[in-house]
Amino acid sequence: MITASKNTSDVHKVVMLAEARSDIWSELLVKVGAGRDREAFGELFAHFAPLLKGFLMKGSSLGPERAEELVQETMIKVWRKADSFNATKSSASTWIYTVARNCRIDWLRREAKSSRDIEAEDIYESSEENTSYTSLVQIRNRDLIRENLALLPPEQLEVIAKIYFEGKSHSEVAAELTLPLGTVKSRIRLALNRLQLRMTAEENTPDV
Amino acid sequence: MSNVSRHPDANFLLDFASGGLSAAQAIAVSAHLHFCSSCRSQAESLNDIGGRLLADVEPAVLSANCQAAVFAALDSPVPVKAEIERRPAEVVRGLTRSDQLPALVRQITPVDGLRWRRLSSSLQVARLPVGEQRYELALHHIEAGGKAPAHDHRGTEITVVLQGSFSDEAGVYHQGDFMVCEPGYTHTPVATANAECVCLSVLEAPIRLVGGFKRLLNPFLSFRPA
Repeated sequence: MITASKNTSDVHKVVMLAEARSDIWSELLVKVGAGRDREAFGELFAHFAPLLKGFLMKGSSLGPERAEELVQETMIKVWRKADSFNATKSSASTWIYTVARNCRIDWLRREAKSSRDIEAEDIYESSEENTSYTSLVQIRNRDLIRENLALLPPEQLEVIAKIYFEGKSHSEVAAELTLPLGTVKSRIRLALNRLQLRMTAEENTPDV
Repeated sequence: MSNVSRHPDANFLLDFASGGLSAAQAIAVSAHLHFCSSCRSQAESLNDIGGRLLADVEPAVLSANCQAAVFAALDSPVPVKAEIERRPAEVVRGLTRSDQLPALVRQITPVDGLRWRRLSSSLQVARLPVGEQRYELALHHIEAGGKAPAHDHRGTEITVVLQGSFSDEAGVYHQGDFMVCEPGYTHTPVATANAECVCLSVLEAPIRLVGGFKRLLNPFLSFRPA
């Protein structure tokens, strides 16, 4: 069978990736979710809280105290929501990143005294309500990101990292770096190409 | 699989993953993801970039009482989150298949229901308040086969088809399709003959204000500062 070798290598890849995915942090997070395991949570805290603080302080507008308040809010959310973590869909660091991102969005909306109370969690989780499995493409992408993100050319990594660290849009980041919007867009495109993340919009509309 | 054929570009998905979109824009992207598994998968990969940056960042030293404060809070009661209210169909009036809307759209529907404003014989609009100055979120409803008045766009507009389909000079748009109209783009949307069409739209505050009568006719100039 011509397809046999492909299937075998896919299966092999899935097994390999499944192993990589069930990293120690994901296991701890599952323990917290399943058994309210404080010891496991303590280990997660010791690892992720300093990373979160480092991450949030890279966002230039947050000083150490405010960053730490957000770290606390995020880690309490992690404890409360851990039972919704699904290790087959996501890695612990990605999941914790999204919890922190959502806490920061809500914080900024509260500070802006938004008249309508819509939580980021509701917006983001609604988008995932039809997702029940992780595609092979997504697993492959995760590996590519792990291997290649740090290898991006500095000017591409700078733009990408600033967008995430500060939770901003690419156009805000362009303005802050005093770069033309087109330059930022092209760096993003080059970075995503280098990470081999194929975007549906580009596949369908090659002229854009 | 759906036949979603128009997608947000990489920059939109990236801004969604980073948390850099306004609530109204994020709701539009989320509505598209509800219908589009391939963009969902990409959004998850973009979240993985955030996870990777977090895993690789240089850790910062925590203050002495940080951990104790978090552990002290673990046993405090979890604030009860309001259940997503399932708005009854009659509240999302005019939508014969409101049960198929993404839950999020029903959730942000005002408790006292949508207030539809008729803009032409076949077009109605209802605002979905999200508490933002710069962007207005709204539902547009075109009767089956109905034609919306020709209009242009003063600010960038995002449209996501939630039900039915419509066409304009540039093509046909199906359920889940996500499109961005840049300022200056003029078109005349027409709903497909056999089904009403419902779209979610995000309008950026127009830079120029347009006078009374034209504003009444033009749904996409319905922005009114809160």
